[in-house]
Order: sequence, then structure tokens, then C-alpha cells
Amino acid sequence: MHELSIAQSLIEVATREAERVGAVQATRLVCRIGALRQVDDVLLQEAFRIARQGTMCQEGCLSIEKTYVQVLCTRCDARFPVRNWEWDCPACGTEGLDPIGGDELELITIEAEMPDEDRCPAECV
Amino acid sequence: MKIDVLRNVFEHNDRAAAENRERLDTLGVTCINLLGGAGSGKTSVLEALLPMLTDSLSVAVLEGDLVTTADAERIAALDIPVVQLLTGGGCHLNATIVQHAFDRIPLADLDLLIVENVGNPICPANFDLGEHLRISILSVAEGHDKPAKYPLLFKEAALVLLTKCDLLPHTDFDLAAAQQELRRINPNAEVISTDVKTRSGFDRLAEWIRKGCRKPVAR
Repeated sequence: MHELSIAQSLIEVATREAERVGAVQATRLVCRIGALRQVDDVLLQEAFRIARQGTMCQEGCLSIEKTYVQVLCTRCDARFPVRNWEWDCPACGTEGLDPIGGDELELITIEAEMPDEDRCPAECV
Repeated sequence: MKIDVLRNVFEHNDRAAAENRERLDTLGVTCINLLGGAGSGKTSVLEALLPMLTDSLSVAVLEGDLVTTADAERIAALDIPVVQLLTGGGCHLNATIVQHAFDRIPLADLDLLIVENVGNPICPANFDLGEHLRISILSVAEGHDKPAKYPLLFKEAALVLLTKCDLLPHTDFDLAAAQQELRRINPNAEVISTDVKTRSGFDRLAEWIRKGCRKPVAR
């Protein structure tokens, strides 16, 4: 259940950014999480709803972009995503090596409400 | 208003980890983060290993657990400085927890600090503690499919320890399949097969650690 730590960290980083620009609250957080992080979206959303209480993200929602592990084929240089932990190269059949990426854990953007803005709750999908 | 952020979500933890590593480097202490699932044999490995190191190295251990001081008591019985880190319900250690523990061990006198993480094959692998080396454990009892199922656990490991190898004849554990999966995820990791009953593999493990202690290796 590292989802709670991730949710708390997302809120920390988002709060710092929102405060930096003088916003009153963050209404939407967009994060990118690699498959290697083994994060469960439902659990992360639940953890976010718990962790956001009493913070600048209290009324914010969370969008999660997932990325696959990418593998570079050592024989034919094809680059392919690992799905269902299938590592063999789809182009030449070689067992894929050299994983690239898939361990992302980043807050990409936030939407923040400025003091003079009309309130318009964001909806996350 | 939309704001571009593109920031590492764990920047707070990574900053604390960098501070830890800097402090350890200044004092010449090598730090190992020992990771593995619950019951994979982490504490048993330490019980067999530590007495082999203490004639040449000054060692201390941080024991991560949710509750109980059972593991710290096992290490203390070897006359080795140990601090039990209890996370309550937390499923992993982080760099701040380790930083606070630095004040409770004779850090400046050490050559080697081993942090035994909370038994869990998923969450701990996400958190840099400021260690120089990661050792990940795969026990024969867990099954050969675990490197494929928990890739992050093995991806950053400098060494993968196969434990409970005395059980190999009694299980369907496919050693070749496990090694193949490990190579896919982490082609650079060294792999040592061990068994605490006969102490098989422990000479090699102790030698690997002594070598690692001579020169801290940056991750």
C-alpha cells in the first residue's frame, strides 16, 4: 500500500507549486506513473481522497497516466512496450533486454484556482 | 489556471536520501538496503552472515518492521548494535525514518550499516533510503515467478540472493527460469545461491560485501 505515500507526496508537491503561484487551491493533479511502480489506480484514488483532506488539494481530483516499461531489442534495435510482462521482441522474436523507463513517478501538471477566479470544479477521468 | 510541474513525486524522500548518502560518504560508511518479501529469509541471512563480518568490519543494523522487536532481538543476540524501526502500519521504510535512526547508532564508528527493510516485495523498492547497494532476496519457497511479478524489487539490486536453496529438491522451483527472469529485469545483478542450514554460499556473500565496503558504489 505505497499508494498512500505516493498520494501524500503528490499533494505535497502540488501544494508547493500552487502556493508558489499564489493559488487558493489545486483543482486537478495530473501524474504519470510507470508500470514498474506497481501502483493500483483504484487504491491510489482512494488514498488521494483520504490524503487531500485539509490540504490545498481538498477539492482537487487526480488524473493518472500510466506508462509501460519500454524495452530495446539487443538484436534488431526495435523499441517495444512490455505488456503483460511479455518481453520477447515482436519484430524478431529475440528475448528483449535493456528495459528503458517504466519507473516514472512524476507530477506533470496541476490546475490551480487563483483568488479572483470563479470556482469551477474540475472533473477527472 | 494550468501549471506545468514535471516534478519527481518522491523529491522529498530523494532529498533526504541524498543527505543520508552524503553523511555516510563523509563518515566512510557503506550502507546496504536489504529487501525481500515477508518470510524470504532476510533476518536469517543476517544471523548467518554478520558473525562472518565482524572480525574485519564494524557493523550495525536497522531493522524495519510493522510491529514487534523480535528481529532486533535476534540481531542484538549477536552483540551487534541494532535499532528496531517500527512503522506501525507502514509497509516500507523511507529516507526520513532512516535519517532519524542515524542518531541512535554509533554511525561514525561503522564500516557497514545494513538496513533490513519491511518484509514486502512491492512498496520498499520504491523508496531510496540513501543506501549504496541494494540486496534483494528471492527465496525458493516463494517460487521462480517472483522476479517477473515484482520487477522493481530486482531491477535496482546489485546482488540477488537466492535463499532456502536446500528446499530446491522438494519444490517445483525452476532455477533456470528464475535466473532468466532476473537477467531480463537486471542483467547486471550478481546472483548468489544460499542456504542457512549448511551455510552454503555465505563465504561468497561475505566476500562480496567486504569488497563492496572497500569502496562505496554509487547507485
